[in-house]
Amino acid sequence: MNLHFLYGKFNIFKLMTITCHGDELILDKERALYLPQHQLLAISDLHLGKSAHFRSAGVQVPATIAQNDLQRLSLLIEKYKPKTLLINGDMFHHGLNTDIDEFSEWRNQYLQLQFLLVKGNHDRLANADYASMQIDIHEPSYCLGPFCFIHDAPKCTEEELYPISGHIHPGVTIVGKAKQRLKFPCFYFGKEYAVLPAFSTFTGLYNIYPKTNDQIFAITPNNVIKV
Amino acid sequence: MDQTKTKGYKKIKQWLKANGRKPFKFQEDAWQNYLNGYSGLVNAPTGFGKTFSLFLAVTIEALNASEINNKKAKDRLQLIWITPLRSLAKDLARAMRETLTELELDWHVGVRNGDTSQAEKVQQKKSMPEILLITPESLHLLLAQKGSSTLFKNLKCIVADEWHELLGSKRGVLVELAISRIKGLQKVEKKQFLRVWGISATIGNIEEALDVLEPNLDAKRIIVKADLEKKILIKSVLPDDIDTLPWAGHLGLKLAYKLLPIIEKSKTTLIFINTRGQSEMWYQHLLNIEPELAGRIAIHHGSIDFELRNWIEDALHTGQLKAVIATSSLDLGVDFKPVDTVVQVGSPKGVARFLQRAGRSGHSPHEVSKIYFLPTHALELVEAAAIKEAAKTNNIESREPFIMVFDTLVQYLVTLAIGDGFDDKIIYEEIKNTNAFKLILPEEWTWVMQFITSGGDSLSAYNEFKKVTKDEDGLWKVKSRQLAMRHRLHIGTIVSDAMLKVKFLSGGYIGMVEEYFVTRLKAGDNFRLAGRVLEFIHVKDMTVIVRVSKQHNAISPSWNGGRLPLSSNLGAVLRKKYNEALDKTHQDEELDCVYPLFLLQEKRSHVPRNDELLIELINNKEGFHLFAYPFEGRLVHEVLAALVAYRLSKLLPISFSIAMNDYGFELLSEIEIPMDESIAYEVFSPKNLTKDITLSINSTEMARRKFRDIACISGLVFQGYPGKYVANKHLQSSAGLFFNVFSDYDKHNLLLRQAYDEVFYQQLEEPRLAAALERIQNSIVVITNPKSFTPLSFPIKVDSLRENMSSEELEQRIARMKAESEKIK
Repeated sequence: MNLHFLYGKFNIFKLMTITCHGDELILDKERALYLPQHQLLAISDLHLGKSAHFRSAGVQVPATIAQNDLQRLSLLIEKYKPKTLLINGDMFHHGLNTDIDEFSEWRNQYLQLQFLLVKGNHDRLANADYASMQIDIHEPSYCLGPFCFIHDAPKCTEEELYPISGHIHPGVTIVGKAKQRLKFPCFYFGKEYAVLPAFSTFTGLYNIYPKTNDQIFAITPNNVIKV
Repeated sequence: MDQTKTKGYKKIKQWLKANGRKPFKFQEDAWQNYLNGYSGLVNAPTGFGKTFSLFLAVTIEALNASEINNKKAKDRLQLIWITPLRSLAKDLARAMRETLTELELDWHVGVRNGDTSQAEKVQQKKSMPEILLITPESLHLLLAQKGSSTLFKNLKCIVADEWHELLGSKRGVLVELAISRIKGLQKVEKKQFLRVWGISATIGNIEEALDVLEPNLDAKRIIVKADLEKKILIKSVLPDDIDTLPWAGHLGLKLAYKLLPIIEKSKTTLIFINTRGQSEMWYQHLLNIEPELAGRIAIHHGSIDFELRNWIEDALHTGQLKAVIATSSLDLGVDFKPVDTVVQVGSPKGVARFLQRAGRSGHSPHEVSKIYFLPTHALELVEAAAIKEAAKTNNIESREPFIMVFDTLVQYLVTLAIGDGFDDKIIYEEIKNTNAFKLILPEEWTWVMQFITSGGDSLSAYNEFKKVTKDEDGLWKVKSRQLAMRHRLHIGTIVSDAMLKVKFLSGGYIGMVEEYFVTRLKAGDNFRLAGRVLEFIHVKDMTVIVRVSKQHNAISPSWNGGRLPLSSNLGAVLRKKYNEALDKTHQDEELDCVYPLFLLQEKRSHVPRNDELLIELINNKEGFHLFAYPFEGRLVHEVLAALVAYRLSKLLPISFSIAMNDYGFELLSEIEIPMDESIAYEVFSPKNLTKDITLSINSTEMARRKFRDIACISGLVFQGYPGKYVANKHLQSSAGLFFNVFSDYDKHNLLLRQAYDEVFYQQLEEPRLAAALERIQNSIVVITNPKSFTPLSFPIKVDSLRENMSSEELEQRIARMKAESEKIK
């Protein structure tokens, strides 16, 4: 593994820059990954429509969750001005609903920006629906430089490339002396593959237990920290 | 009307006389008051016929009426008898049926609860019985049925049996709400002859218990108290040598052999164990040390299959069993005549519970109840001495009724909406007249209505929310059948983890285990349930398939029952007992027995007297420990620990992890904890209490934990029921996640506020905390520095319930924790 880390001045920008397989990667505390060489912003597990899906089933999820997730995404787009936005699977939680209508409208602000979707297990809309929202579909993966973006890492067949996945909504528990515990969403960079945190705030966390040489970057309320 | 002149009364007297019986005065009082239109509360010791004080009252009135029966199916229901436990209903129904037959009153008695078959429920819907025995949950399920609002036209009486049990829980609120609705329905019919009665054991706040049941202070209300006393014999099972008892523990198997002679010389013994998991272990252990007991003892708890429990209860009645190991599932009023001895293993944590369990033996009037206390660790012997004293002085706890539980209100309104629908103005008036919601503000009501109709958000332009909608007839209803079905499965306020049924490969159900326990099993693994060792095969259709194992030993599932805290009454007596232990001014054999342990405590540190607060500071490789012993019960200690941690952290940046038990609490830090006498008085001060509590619990997980139940009760999270319902994957989420999103996006959510309120009022018990701090201010602070753990501190150390509390910046804290963990590597 050829990872090394730059600390210090970047911290005020709430992000961390690492080098991975020769490419520079920026880990943003808004649960996003930016590849400056390719001007590509990658997020995973957006789960758009999840709150509306819950609401239509009579579960009182705040309606503003989806709007808030899109606002966060807007800020990231303004910050990095990417050419491409890659969604690494589970972009839409269920079927079409009002959250998706809102997304469609929001999407029209960024007509210059290419939207790429690597399909995940939740992404079951009709191809025409994706096309109408100008989202390019890639299945099962999207390869770029040394990386293979795929929703579920074990399914990757590109043996030469380093898979960057999502799907599991990784979280890490930091255990201190005197039995103290704190749990955060995280980026995972292992020997075999990497996992991105879930972008949506309306998602739970799956605890991962790092092996030696695995790199974990916890996303605390204000920063990205290597643990 | 003087009842003695009525023909009903005469008939009852005659019947009793023919059976060689004569009513107690309190029974006659209850009959007379009922006849005069009173609602009220009957308070009498167990075994003196509390049931007959009300059941016969209704019967007398029926016998008095010239035209006895109204045959129209819907008009039949006369008496609703609410019981907290399913097992109670069966025996009550049997007794009532026998009586009615002998009195030649052509009434039917129906039972309706979670164990009632679907066929029977359908039959009841067609034709209601005159007397319906029901649990609070099933009563709400009844209200959730279409057409249910016409069932209560001729209802004369609602009885809440074991009301003291229901009172201090959200189930009590279910009862309050159901009563308010039934009263409301009768009001519409202009038939208001409903009387509401409770049956209660002695509790500290019996007047309040009546206020909750009948909140209208202008109504005819009365408490009928029996002037009778139940004799109770309490004896501790003492070890021959105190060293055989561990310093900490919950199991107590070391003394099991001492039970054998007790079981042998008794007719039937009930052995109460505090948790289901431990009861399985006890069952196995008793069989191991005395194989002769095979086939003569049984195990009874809430996770054992209904049929099996039924069989055990029948065998108890007929005296076939020598002993039954039970949990709280056999706590309440079932009368098993052959039971002449009760054993309590481990602390019962409260006087009322202990006396209730004692009352399971010697059930008939004037018989002596006999109970043995078997300690699971050495210090519990002191508790035994304290309980004996509290029982002697009748120092019995209060049960605090729940108020402003919005989760239960939300559930209730949806229940009504899937039934015949409701008018919000009428229901608002009804609930305002209940004790639980008399303080509800109009804006809170508006929020609740908005929550179920528009999803708690009226501003969003995109609103897909669908649940309760207004029908053409102006009533609020749930239209979706799917939603209605899901809601029905979740009616009730007892929240447990998802349970799976356990079934033999060859057929036959054994009981239930929690889902998370099953996820840890591999095929071929063995576990214990209902006293048998079972081999896990696989899970199929939400059912755990097993076969009988050839192994003799296996793990027991741990069911996540709540652990009860020590009551404040018992805490006070306990402190007094600590006083007496060293100077030997007592007559308790338990204290003599535990004396060597007190000597050791005195040698290593100090034995606190009841005008002292002991603080022990211990430093070892784990870190710096501070132990304090206020003897106020686990819940109060939890808050007190957080409060003290917060106040200490104002002196310097410091992080703690917290542990506690019923005797005291521990603060553990990696840096030295500042402590001397003046600091102690400062951090244990009642000054700025409310403010400091708010700040100290702010950063803890207490509210989040409370929210788990709230999310289930209010229908945000679906638990699913064994074999009944597979949750839709796309609708799965956790209570914790809801807690997060409400905290981030919906701060005014009343369910969120309720979580904090529950923490504040139940968990914190602020008045109790304030009183404890006042007491500590007037106490002498004794600080010691023991070299190793003491008999008092060790049990807390062993306890694993932990909280975190920190005043450091999060980033700073993580950095430090990281640095540490790297050091360890």
